[in-house]
Amino acid sequence: MTRLLELLINGVSLGAVYALIALGFVVIFRATEVVNFAHASLLLLGGYVTAVLHDDLGFLGALAVGVAAAALCGAFLEFVLLRRAKARRDVVAIATVGIDIVLTAELTRRIGTGVLSLGDPWHNSVVHIGGVTIAQTRIAALLTAAVLIGAFLAAFKYTSWGVSMRAVAEDSETAALMGIRLGRVSMSAWCVAGALAAVAAVFITAFPTPGLDRTTSVAALKAFPAAILGGLDSTTGALVGGLLIGLTESLVGGYQDDLSFLGRGLGDVAPYAVMVAVLLLRPAGLFGTREVSRV
Amino acid sequence: MSRPPLTALLWLPLLILPFYVDMFWLQAGLFVMAAAIGAIGLNLLTGSTGQLSMGHAFFLAVGAYGYVYFAGETSGHVTGLGLPAPVAAVLAVALSGLAGWAFSPIAGRVSGVYLAIASLALIFLGQHVLFNLESVTGGYNGRAVPPMKLFGFAFDDSSELIVAGVPFGGLERLWYLGIALLLAAMLFARGVLGARPGRAMNLVRDQRIAAAALGVPVGKVRAKAFTLSSMYAGLAGVLLALTFQRAVPDYFGMLLALDYLAMIVIGGLGSVGGAVAGAAFVTLLPQLLARYSGDLPLVAAPGADGISPAVAARYLYGAAVVAVVLFLPTGLSGLLSGRLPGLRRSATPMKEESPQ
Amino acid sequence: MSETPKSETPELVVEDVTVRFAGLVALDAVGFTVRPGTVHAVIGPNGAGKSTCFNVLSGVYRATSGSVRFGGRELTGLPPHRISELGIARTFQNLALSAALSVEDNLMLGRYRLTRAGIVASGLRLPRARREEARHLARVREIADFAGIAHRLKEPAGGLPYGDQKRVELARALCAEPRLLMLDEPVAGMNATERLEMAELIVAVRAGLGISIVLVEHDMGMVMRLADRVTVLDFGKRIADGTPGEVQEDPAVLRAYLGEEVS
Repeated sequence: MTRLLELLINGVSLGAVYALIALGFVVIFRATEVVNFAHASLLLLGGYVTAVLHDDLGFLGALAVGVAAAALCGAFLEFVLLRRAKARRDVVAIATVGIDIVLTAELTRRIGTGVLSLGDPWHNSVVHIGGVTIAQTRIAALLTAAVLIGAFLAAFKYTSWGVSMRAVAEDSETAALMGIRLGRVSMSAWCVAGALAAVAAVFITAFPTPGLDRTTSVAALKAFPAAILGGLDSTTGALVGGLLIGLTESLVGGYQDDLSFLGRGLGDVAPYAVMVAVLLLRPAGLFGTREVSRV
Repeated sequence: MSRPPLTALLWLPLLILPFYVDMFWLQAGLFVMAAAIGAIGLNLLTGSTGQLSMGHAFFLAVGAYGYVYFAGETSGHVTGLGLPAPVAAVLAVALSGLAGWAFSPIAGRVSGVYLAIASLALIFLGQHVLFNLESVTGGYNGRAVPPMKLFGFAFDDSSELIVAGVPFGGLERLWYLGIALLLAAMLFARGVLGARPGRAMNLVRDQRIAAAALGVPVGKVRAKAFTLSSMYAGLAGVLLALTFQRAVPDYFGMLLALDYLAMIVIGGLGSVGGAVAGAAFVTLLPQLLARYSGDLPLVAAPGADGISPAVAARYLYGAAVVAVVLFLPTGLSGLLSGRLPGLRRSATPMKEESPQ
Repeated sequence: MSETPKSETPELVVEDVTVRFAGLVALDAVGFTVRPGTVHAVIGPNGAGKSTCFNVLSGVYRATSGSVRFGGRELTGLPPHRISELGIARTFQNLALSAALSVEDNLMLGRYRLTRAGIVASGLRLPRARREEARHLARVREIADFAGIAHRLKEPAGGLPYGDQKRVELARALCAEPRLLMLDEPVAGMNATERLEMAELIVAVRAGLGISIVLVEHDMGMVMRLADRVTVLDFGKRIADGTPGEVQEDPAVLRAYLGEEVS
């Protein structure tokens, strides 16, 4: 029972981190209709910058620079890919694959075979509540993600930025006619997405994970199934999808000894199986907009 | 499609190449042929039908391991059926097609970029299976690939064969098999694209609703394109395994899937010749950089400190993908055929405009 | 065009068709009948539900309730490609051609339901596939000639002038040898000369093929000249149905149109 509780709490915490990443992914898609396949490498960039700087700047300082770097990189990609290219959005999505190839090649080359710490203050401390043992990093992840997601949703709902964003997602032409500056909305979406990914990098690499290494971007990729099983154009979907993926990973990983006939390392691939299962039932995801046409 | 004399001229030097170049070039050339077959398949799906797939590497693995399993013998910790090699190759391609067809509930209903993410599942679930199914794949270290044998003629170094004073080993022999397979793959793809199924695929990509209104079953066309592209990947996997002589699970991962997307974008979406050109570019680049790393600035020799040839190649073709999308929507094929990019801008593949 | 195999054209009966999108009623119990061999126009102000109506008839949208019958076959449950197999073809208001394909290939797509060659037969270039292709290509050339686009056959459809692309749309639908042809604003965006030519073409289709035509159009002059019968929609409801003369005098129709002019 304690074990289950621990796994559930870890799963929710992990899910909240995936939700952070998926949220950025969905925000980009809603604002610009581009699927950003370079999203995992933005996360890797934010994490790498934080890891390199934390000795000199302290954890928070380094994280601030890491977040800024990922946000700037997002803005730069938006500028290069969306302002210049006249190509359609699905072709621009392929260009982000090219960006991902370059960024991942460069960052994994720099990281090499090492494992970098991001210098988070929680290390490997745990807390005991009742009989349940939880890593402090998991609690920090949950709280941070909850605050950021809450702030994001509030901004999405109440600020003029959020209103512009939703208007553009609804109908960009009309929004432009109403005086909303599409360029600004689109660039801010990429910035926000980059920043959220950089924060998520801290928790994806923190205890019990040993640190940032060349497989970190593979871990971050699980935000893709999170985003799509929730529905690519739904912020609610990103949250629910993130939690589902986090819980799946935690529970399957935790009970993998009972599932050993399915092979080692099942926890890392089970999220993809869940995604396939959901898409079989609902091709547009759980909360995605279903098309009216029957084609 | 309509330049047979020129095309024939291009193929001629390829036929005499084994008499003049060394092993390095033969092996590199065979990798290009295998990649080209796989890229033609992915281009049928992504370029012509508008369905993005990241799962191509999985079907390459199915082809490669299908062949190894069907043709291999049971020995030690690995099992095999020990079938004749050509039968095994055909079965491997069929198995890839079957795997692609099994994915059709998703490949038929999930469109465009959604499918790209959905097909990521194939990569990760596929790798999981490959690493765990040790009796078939040999696990982490892979397993040896039995050579191709056609009518008693072995495509390996086992028997001695000298043609016009040049010793013909496994690579020389495979070279001609590779050319034959690539030629067949190209002709078949062009046959499909130039006729009824190809036109339907194009309209599904460009105008899904109009396609349905003309009687084209959109989901079925997508599923068939996915199956066909999987079979191409399977054939590419067989040739790749024969060239490598060893199949290792790690190879068939995410990076390989991205390589194939890069090939078809660089070559030109929807073009058979473009897929071949893109495959040559992406496959040869790291090998050339490695071979000439001593003469190139900034690129370190393999294993030395600095930017390795493999990494340098990834910079270059990653950048090439971005550049092609931004400045040359028809890719290399557009450049080679002299068509102006501007002229076909409106005609670039993968357009989806929903009519009312 | 005269040697077209003429199969019996059945009646199209639309009854009580209602379409709701997320609480919004786009069509409200609309009904009309298209008699064999006639031109039936569906008109109405913007947002009246004409396009929705077309999309229900061709199976793109599912009707919330009501029925559409074509010669005894119920259409409302069928997906678009099944409806097309019954001999119903349509054009699209916004061009829906494959811009990259040649005009000829676009027209051959009209033959899709009449042809069989699959991936294997086409990839291997089997004789039966090539014979089929040649046979249908001949018919496509005839239809292109009839539609006045024969000289454009080898060009990519996306490069043609707008008026010609509209003709290709119509020709592609004709290539399906339909028994019922649905035209969604065939002259929208055309200049006066092009409109006239298109009207002549539609008249020729009707005279030459004797098929039923359902026409959605904004150009009143054209509707009044071509249509045998007119159904008028406003805010998703049918407000009038009759001959062009009757409809023109109908006070509800005048209100709907004048109302639109004023706002």
